[in-house]
Amino acid sequence: MDFDISGARIFFRIPTGIPILGDILISETLVVTWIVMALITGLCIWLTRDLKVEKVSKKQAVAEWLVELAENFVRNNTGGTRFDKLIPFVAALFATSVISNLISLVGLRSPTADLSTEAAWAVVVFIMITYQKINAGGLLGYMKGFTEPIAVMTPFNILSELATPVSMACRHFGNILSGVVINGLIYAALAAGSAALLGLLPGAVGDFLSKIPILDVGLPAILSVYFDWFSGVMQAFIFSMLTVMYIANAAEG
Amino acid sequence: MENQALVTIIPWTFIAQILNLFIQMYLVKRFLFKPIKEILAKRQAMSDEQLDIARASRAEADALKEQYENSMANAKAEANEIITAATKTAEQKSDEIIGDANRKAAAAKVKAEAEIAQERKKAVNELKNEIGGMAIDLAGKVIEREISEDDHRKLIEEFIENVGEAS
Repeated sequence: MDFDISGARIFFRIPTGIPILGDILISETLVVTWIVMALITGLCIWLTRDLKVEKVSKKQAVAEWLVELAENFVRNNTGGTRFDKLIPFVAALFATSVISNLISLVGLRSPTADLSTEAAWAVVVFIMITYQKINAGGLLGYMKGFTEPIAVMTPFNILSELATPVSMACRHFGNILSGVVINGLIYAALAAGSAALLGLLPGAVGDFLSKIPILDVGLPAILSVYFDWFSGVMQAFIFSMLTVMYIANAAEG
Repeated sequence: MENQALVTIIPWTFIAQILNLFIQMYLVKRFLFKPIKEILAKRQAMSDEQLDIARASRAEADALKEQYENSMANAKAEANEIITAATKTAEQKSDEIIGDANRKAAAAKVKAEAEIAQERKKAVNELKNEIGGMAIDLAGKVIEREISEDDHRKLIEEFIENVGEAS
């Protein structure tokens, strides 16, 4: 029995001939991301269908609750309404992250199990943080910030600045990938276990039944409560939270 | 089918994911935040309107109440005035009536007294004349001679005067 974990499958390869950037790969990551986006957008459209001012439906109540949740999340973590422009961004980030993490439950490969995704998000957040810092202290103030408290610290300060997006991306990616790896291991181990167990049966019956990984039913579902549900929601929450807090801190200078 | 490496960053996927994030942001904004914000604003406007209406009707009610209270107070004052006026008129009338009666009674008394005095005077005069006549007759008879009647009369009148004063 062999077991291996590989990256996302590549469906098409569009050669571009551009150095460094390389070929465009229409991979599982991108396709599932589009599915996730379609799901989120469809959900938004469905939730906000025939909105009423009075006597709201449960659906509308949920939609309003979601909007208020996003607003409160950003406002409580930035302490005011200064970053209201950030609300749709954070909401989109959280929604994409959460649905991407949980979509592995239906057997699709999470786009977040590809470092490209998290790296993209983290770089966007890093640019926002840097923009806020420059906005708050000016370009010179931003540059000068690296030499504090003493000039010798400059390399370390630059490192720590770069560590922010790297750590954000790697934390999220690592958690989701670990879920994928552990789930794969558990499935493989239980399949091997059930094959060994049912292989004890004599004759053709044993040969046939040992091919059915009967132990894979049940136990992985319980484990996925942690590795998929908890970890998935938690990482999306942490990523959004860090985004808001880093940007708010950056604006304070 | 080929697979990409487990831990790698594919440049085009990276770029696509950045674009996807912003597209998703626009979609969420357009299809969730915008309609919900609109409906919330509408609801806010409606409740504000309701509040305004409630406030206006309350003010109206207050104005009506004040007006009512004012007119009640006016009515009370008017009633008091009327009562006072009526009392005054009645007092005046009764005073007038009593005064009238008093005056009439006094006039009647005065008239009666005058009549009494006149009667008395008349009686006295009659008596005087009678007594005078009698006295003259008597004296004439006593003396049997005629003295000047004028002298007699003078004497008698003096006498009667004395009698009148004494009576």
